[in-house]
Amino acid sequence: MTDVKPKAESQSDEAEGPDGGWGWVLVGAMFVSTSLVFGLMRSLGIFFVEFVQYFDESAQAISWISSTGLATQQFFSPLGAALCNAYNTRVVVMIGGCLAGLGLILASQATRLVHLYLTMGVISGLGWGLVFTPMVATVMANFTRRRTLALGLGFSSIGLSSFAFNPLFQLLVEKYAWRGALLILGGLSLNIVPCGALIRPQRRSKAPAKVDSETNPPRASLLQRVSSYLELSLLFERPYITYTLGVSLMNVGYFVPYFHLVAHSRQAGFSEYQAAFVMSAAGASDILGRVASGWFSDLGLFRLIHLLSMWTFLAGVFIMLLPVSSLSGSYAALMVISLLYGFSAGALTSVVFAVVPLIVGVERMMGGLGLLQLIESSAGLLGTPLSGFLKDVTGNYVASFMVSGGFLILATLTMATLPHFFSCRDPPPPQKRSLNDKDKGLHSELEQINSLPADTNHREEL
Amino acid sequence: MTASWKQLFFQILLLVFCRHINTKTPGPTPPPLVADSPLPTDVRSAILKGESHTEKVEVVNPVNLTLECTWAGNRDKQPNITGLWRKDGEEIENSLLMVQLENEQYNLRRVFNIVNEESLGNYSCLFGNEARIDFVLAAPHIGEVRDKPIVGYVGDTAVILCKMEESKPKPSTWNWYRTNGTNKEQILTAAEPHRYKIVNEGEKTKLLVHNLTEADSGSYYCAAVYPIGTTMGHVELKVITFFEPLKPFLAILVEVIILVAAILLYERSRSKKNYAAGNETNDQSNTLTQGENNESEGSSSMRQRKV
Repeated sequence: MTDVKPKAESQSDEAEGPDGGWGWVLVGAMFVSTSLVFGLMRSLGIFFVEFVQYFDESAQAISWISSTGLATQQFFSPLGAALCNAYNTRVVVMIGGCLAGLGLILASQATRLVHLYLTMGVISGLGWGLVFTPMVATVMANFTRRRTLALGLGFSSIGLSSFAFNPLFQLLVEKYAWRGALLILGGLSLNIVPCGALIRPQRRSKAPAKVDSETNPPRASLLQRVSSYLELSLLFERPYITYTLGVSLMNVGYFVPYFHLVAHSRQAGFSEYQAAFVMSAAGASDILGRVASGWFSDLGLFRLIHLLSMWTFLAGVFIMLLPVSSLSGSYAALMVISLLYGFSAGALTSVVFAVVPLIVGVERMMGGLGLLQLIESSAGLLGTPLSGFLKDVTGNYVASFMVSGGFLILATLTMATLPHFFSCRDPPPPQKRSLNDKDKGLHSELEQINSLPADTNHREEL
Repeated sequence: MTASWKQLFFQILLLVFCRHINTKTPGPTPPPLVADSPLPTDVRSAILKGESHTEKVEVVNPVNLTLECTWAGNRDKQPNITGLWRKDGEEIENSLLMVQLENEQYNLRRVFNIVNEESLGNYSCLFGNEARIDFVLAAPHIGEVRDKPIVGYVGDTAVILCKMEESKPKPSTWNWYRTNGTNKEQILTAAEPHRYKIVNEGEKTKLLVHNLTEADSGSYYCAAVYPIGTTMGHVELKVITFFEPLKPFLAILVEVIILVAAILLYERSRSKKNYAAGNETNDQSNTLTQGENNESEGSSSMRQRKV
């Protein structure tokens, strides 16, 4: 991150806005919409007690509601990215907000559990998928030097809102029962629509592709256009695959402490109150880590990929240390390690997405993010059942924490195989390459779609 | 007088352990007799350290309960002190005796027949006027009952749950009551099977009320039936129409529409200003690139060619 870059970027033909100005408004919009997507998903646990009682189903069947919602959100992320590439980001996000709200409103009328799967799970999940990735990509496109800080501020909403939503949802359920509460939540989710309205249409960076394909219809067939909108070409590029693999490995172990830390603390002999407090403290340090890491990364002292590797490695180490500290019986040790784990876990989330444009270039960032979300989510689905299985087999959580930490360290090693990892300066980012391509005209677009291996050598900039 | 009372006391104890002995009951007022069929026995004891002490005793089945009180006495340890038993504040007849100081302690001990709900209550042993130990005899209390009202919607079904803690003994059965004015009426599912349904599962019970109407609002009581008696839990049901949550929902909907309209109108008014002023700059950007977007430093208000 040298001084030369911003000037060069301002002359580039990418829609990288200046840092600040309208970008901060978009950070605010991302703050609100992310809290209404993930913050809301995390607080749905309040409803589960009511659902178990009303529908007379097991807790397992009820927990499938939020699993379906999360899975649908991640599955449709590439679709959201592709639609933004093809059409207008603003319209996509606004439609996503409407769908998310509609799903919850319809859920308030459910008479059977299946209805909840379809409404809260599928419809709202689809809406969330159309909202999250486009908002993140838009914010990243609007910042260059302060990108990580903007992301950190935006993602901090997840932690903060789950603190606020838990008592709020409790209040709504007490006053209006789950039906009325879901209706009001649907209304709250509609607030994503004004967030989407704040996105200015010119922030799209896929405009040249559309222009080029319009002028050459016979060449750019529908399939090729779809694959270009989905950025499927990225799946053939080594840096992207390496990075996605690294992030997926990280995802396997990342969520395990969130699910098992409380149970593990109880098993180590601490009281229910102490265990819950450890969890809340880790959540608070997670929020702090996101913002602090965002600010620190933008100081430009280190390369983003190095910072990401460091945070991932630290998080892995601290996860492995968690069972060690609690087995020693000391509450202070458990608290300290949990705080450190929370901080590093939050720190790495700010950086994870910010690295993507450095690998794929800003104009392909939207599709890159969508595919990344899809692939990493399937890895995340493996992580918790695997750790649960290890716990059932061994009887305690030591093995599952060790394995999860191991996955994160493995992720660090994978990321170290990225090209140019060990150089001290960021190599020139790919968008400069695409600038030249666009000067050349149509050929670049078709090369991108059709013959990839040759071009990837040029694009291996990171 | 004291000797005969002691005799009586031992006779009762003996009767409890050996069925065949006849009790001759000298004295004007006979103490409560034991029942014909032998009851199980149990002992509860408490030691008083301060001014007073309360001990909770959970009773499930009828039992002959021996209550023992021990007091270490105060500074001036008198050799004799009066001992007295009370039930629910009222003195139990012929329970007054003189207690000797033994091993620096005063001991009071009495057997009570706990057979039905009237036998339950607050039993106190008093030493003189100074020390008292209370034994609160009761059937197991229902722990998990909602203190906030359960909300249901007109036409919907309400599920009211009562649960006895797992550590406590399970009741023989559950009954449900609802208040009608001041009376408690038992809910009988046989009378209205399409309206009420009771599901009993050991320590849990559920009352389902279908086709709610606003008249169904009120107090409901779940009663855990034990051989010794029943304990009640109170749950309140509130039936509301769907208009209640609809009001905040519509308020939020209006707020969302206003925000979206404001944002779009603001943008349109700015773009109109910039369109007129920025035509020349748009031409410049066209020559610079092949129709790609361009942003000038520090300002983001320029409207682009691509809408």
